[in-house]
Amino acid sequence: MSLFIQRMFDGLAEGSIYALLALALVVIFRSTGQLNFAQGEIGTLCAFFASTFTLSGLPVWVAILLAMAIGFLIAAFVERVVVRPIEDRNPGAVIVALIGVFLAVNQLSAMFWGVDARSLPSLFPTNADSFFRIGDAAIRWERVGIIGVLAVVVVLLFLLFNRTKIGLAMRAVANNQESSNLVGIRVGNILILGWGLAGAIGALAAVMLAPSAGLTGTLMLGPFLYASVAAVLGGLDSPVGAVVGGLLIGLLKAFLIGYVDFLSDMLFPVMLVVLLSVLLFRPAGLFGTEKVERV
Amino acid sequence: MSENLLEVRGLSAGYGQIEVLHSLDFHVADGEIVVILGANGAGKTTTMRSVSGMIQRSGDVLFDGNRIGSARPDAVLRVGISQVPQGRGTFTDLTVEDNLRAGAYSVKGSIAADIDRWYDVFPRLAERRDQRAGSLSGGEQQMLAIARAMMNRPKLLLCDEPSLGLAPIITQNLFKILGELRDEMGMALLVVEQNAGLSLQLCDRAYVLETGHIVASGTGDELLNDDTVKQAYLGGAG
Repeated sequence: MSLFIQRMFDGLAEGSIYALLALALVVIFRSTGQLNFAQGEIGTLCAFFASTFTLSGLPVWVAILLAMAIGFLIAAFVERVVVRPIEDRNPGAVIVALIGVFLAVNQLSAMFWGVDARSLPSLFPTNADSFFRIGDAAIRWERVGIIGVLAVVVVLLFLLFNRTKIGLAMRAVANNQESSNLVGIRVGNILILGWGLAGAIGALAAVMLAPSAGLTGTLMLGPFLYASVAAVLGGLDSPVGAVVGGLLIGLLKAFLIGYVDFLSDMLFPVMLVVLLSVLLFRPAGLFGTEKVERV
Repeated sequence: MSENLLEVRGLSAGYGQIEVLHSLDFHVADGEIVVILGANGAGKTTTMRSVSGMIQRSGDVLFDGNRIGSARPDAVLRVGISQVPQGRGTFTDLTVEDNLRAGAYSVKGSIAADIDRWYDVFPRLAERRDQRAGSLSGGEQQMLAIARAMMNRPKLLLCDEPSLGLAPIITQNLFKILGELRDEMGMALLVVEQNAGLSLQLCDRAYVLETGHIVASGTGDELLNDDTVKQAYLGGAG
């Protein structure tokens, strides 16, 4: 039982990383209908920045906020300079351009930070005795901290989307750009803002993961794949779905590794099965909206 | 200079290399209901989109002392012009109430009183305030589109084919409401329509638009009794 609880927290913490990344994907997908392939890599680049900031003596939380700001700027830049000009001419080509951005960002971080693993301190205590007990289960504070970060992000996003004028504009643009223009929303600015927001959330996912996973250029490669499956599972247009999907995938992974020995080396094939099952039997995902409308 | 609320001179517009509107002149006076009548492809929607700043255009557009011939949509809204787009264009995934809030995006200050007011005018919307707009019927969506446009507190309301896809009885009711809005608020209306019968009865004046040219104009009654208009838009015999 104690092992089960430990694995559950492992899964939820890892799932929180996927959930953050999936949220970033969903925020962009809702507004532009694009899957941002560069999302993970932008996060990795930001984690490298954070590591350099902490080495120069800045407190970890300041380094994290700066990294998120950089993530915001990079993603906003990608929207304005890469995505929008191409989308106006050929929407289908954007996906190829984003894979290009993926490669470019990946190489950039290798160029400036090399290929050796860097360290990034955690925001939370990571000493050998930094845990608490539930019965016999030892739960590391870092795990709880990451889950807490996800909770804070979810609450802030909920307030942004549902309680502010900017959030209303973001939902309006996600739904109907033409009508958004007609009510006076500067659609271009809102798109930039949405991408920037996703960039910041993606950066947060990376700096949460890096301390335990080790900071290398491939930090977000696996998590990006898990997050993509999570986003599809939850529904690509649903922020709630991204969170639930991320946590489910995290738990699935932790329990497979823990309890199903022969599958623990085949996690990606398992994810492929999950992905295909969702697409075949529930294409809109658990929380996504199926497009049924009266005219 | 003139007492006209909206004064359009030499308005041309199109898409890419193709010019759709060829130097249109028309005007709307304060509190007036003006209809632009045209068949499919005449350029009605392009005319609306030119006034509201949704597309590139050339020519002079004067509104209430402002030159808006090259203004962007958000600037056009702020001087007091709202548009109800063709096909209603409601935010289908948003609730009815959020649609109204979005309509007031350019309005500074409290909008609670406006929302209550439009719920009074359209009680159906009040009943459905928490429902997704996409779940409303066509007629209800048209009401929502009008209420959303009115949230901007316009001096001029542009309506792009409000009768499209609606049953005649609903269209009739809709036009009645538009007329009442004008009477109560002194607001002006510019409506483009194919439905000549109803819209000419509603309006003060009308223009006939054919392939991007204005080919006739007059009061609603004059055009209702005009032989060419009867032929083209009122099913012949009249």
